[in-house]
Amino acid sequence: MVSTPRVLIVDPSEETREVLKTALERRGVQTLAAGHIRPAIKLVKEHCPHVVVLDLEAGGGSPEEALTRFSAATEGAAPRLLILGSVRRPQIGGYSYFVAKPYHFGPLIRRIEELLTAVEVCARSA
Amino acid sequence: MASLFVIRGNDQGVRFELNGPVLGIGRDSSNAIQLHDNEVSRQHAELRLVDNAYVLCDLNSSNGTFVNGRLVRQHRLHSGDQVQVGSTLMLFTGPSQEEENLSEKVDIASPLPPGDESHIVHSMTQQEGSRLFDLQADVPEGSWLARARSNLQVMYRTALAVSHTLDIDQLLQRIMDLIFEWVEADRGCIMLIDPETKKLAPKVRRTRKGVRADEKITISKTILDYVLERNEGVLTTNAREDTRWNPAASILQLGIREAICVPMQGRYDLVGVIYIDTSTTPQEVLRKGGASKFTEDHLKLMIAIAHQAALAVEDTRYYSAMVQAERLAAIGQTIATLSHHIKNILQGIRGGSYLIEMGLSQHDESLVRKGWTVVEKNQNKISNLVMDMLTFSKEREPDLMPADMNRVVGDVMELMQARAAECQVTLYYQQAPDMPTLVFDPEGIHRAVLNVVTNAIDAAAEASESGAVRVATEYAPQEGKVRVIVEDNGPGIPPEQLDTLFSPFVSTKKSRGTGLGLPVSQKILNEHGGKIWVQSAVGQGARFVLELPAVLGEAESPTLTPDRTA
Repeated sequence: MVSTPRVLIVDPSEETREVLKTALERRGVQTLAAGHIRPAIKLVKEHCPHVVVLDLEAGGGSPEEALTRFSAATEGAAPRLLILGSVRRPQIGGYSYFVAKPYHFGPLIRRIEELLTAVEVCARSA
Repeated sequence: MASLFVIRGNDQGVRFELNGPVLGIGRDSSNAIQLHDNEVSRQHAELRLVDNAYVLCDLNSSNGTFVNGRLVRQHRLHSGDQVQVGSTLMLFTGPSQEEENLSEKVDIASPLPPGDESHIVHSMTQQEGSRLFDLQADVPEGSWLARARSNLQVMYRTALAVSHTLDIDQLLQRIMDLIFEWVEADRGCIMLIDPETKKLAPKVRRTRKGVRADEKITISKTILDYVLERNEGVLTTNAREDTRWNPAASILQLGIREAICVPMQGRYDLVGVIYIDTSTTPQEVLRKGGASKFTEDHLKLMIAIAHQAALAVEDTRYYSAMVQAERLAAIGQTIATLSHHIKNILQGIRGGSYLIEMGLSQHDESLVRKGWTVVEKNQNKISNLVMDMLTFSKEREPDLMPADMNRVVGDVMELMQARAAECQVTLYYQQAPDMPTLVFDPEGIHRAVLNVVTNAIDAAAEASESGAVRVATEYAPQEGKVRVIVEDNGPGIPPEQLDTLFSPFVSTKKSRGTGLGLPVSQKILNEHGGKIWVQSAVGQGARFVLELPAVLGEAESPTLTPDRTA
């Protein structure tokens, strides 16, 4: 993984945010959290997380609207996007990964770690 | 929008909205109109939009495509057309045409124009009006005028009968009552064609007083076949003279002297038959001089009655299919919504369990405790969901007791602080300074207010500027009312959503709302003899008012607030 990996968790459920924060921080990951897309966009621009875990219900509108809105607003920052949703959505920008709900946290954490490793590999080869 | 509504078949009750230039009909899932019918070909037919109308084209299907009972290769559909593929029957409804604006041509003016001296000279009830067909003294009984009047009266009463009930069995009983009032039949029955089996099934059987009721009515198959195949009514008075019948046919064996059998022809289909018969002994014939009981006039009128009855049967079936469709849609939506919420709660429980497992493996009690808190929160969520469902579904009496409205609402505000902070919404609470102790159900009102405030916070989170929710209590002694007002600065509610705001499982919060919050709040307020209403416009937030009668509590009674830690 990158030396100081940063993950932004965007999920309307406080419990999910708390569980992911706890699990990731114990693995040496710096975490940021938001319950809604609007503050999440701000956090992406300010802190440039390496991976964003985005629950499509955090947008308030439809999942498609949430995804489009978030991707458009964070295009410059280009974090790896791990999407949590009920139905698989088409990839956007080539950096989107999908986990169907309800998920188990163990495999989800492993997926996040894989993405962080991939970010490190990209950074080294750049 | 144009649509196809399935009125018969495995997909009964499903409505397919037609919104494309080409729409496939078939068994395959690639079809826009997929039918679960083994008699339908995988790619059975197509609907093509041509000049703002849909043309139905058969795609060389195995069993053919039918419109209004006719086999078609291509057919331009009109509203009301029945489309049959396989054993699935669908009703086509075209797009609603733009109606001519008649408001400029018809005016309802309250005061009469000057010079107009119109006044009411006569008024009449519907019952009085129906006496149009009563026999009058100056009309000789038995004359053609009397007969015509009598016929009209029967038709009028038939029309009344079919318009007053949507229950097929009641309707058919009433039809048979009318027939027996008017015709000297000994026996009668109405048989309907079963939509599934296509076979005739008796629905009503009647015998005249004095005629053996336990005797089975055996109907001539010859007559039935003729009526069904030709779609013609028949009157038989003497089988030996009537050349339509084979002398060896059943009618001779049964010895029936007179019978009338008519088809029940609806708008598109035959729905059944009405049969009546009578036996006249040779002695009676001699005594009456050979006069028949049934005449051609009877036959004509029976055909007309049968047509009315058939239309009513069709309408009742369509109505039942629509009711069934609405019920299925409501059930489907309920299940989908509940499944979604339970899935989210399950996700929370999984999260808590994960932390507990991690804590146990790392011998970290703080982690275990954290996980347990998460599990407990989700237990409460599922409990609230179930409580909302139960509150909504059951008739309940409020548990009335003296309580402090300001405290009850204050508890809600305290409970919602964390959620508001998460959504970056500021909560403001203004208590009415003169609020006395009132009698109400504090648990119920707490839940009602909680649901409205939760919605307000979610709405305010969408505000373009900083989200804010203002809650205020109001005591209006001169009106005998107490109110809780919840205002948010969210995006507001579009007018088309206001009508369904209090409908269960209709949520404007897309996947986040249960769709039960507001209906439950409304139910609770109604149980108190109160009400809830909303004022909102797009871009102007929303203002919910929960109002109930202010019933004063006794001053010496202890003031109770609901125990929120339970």
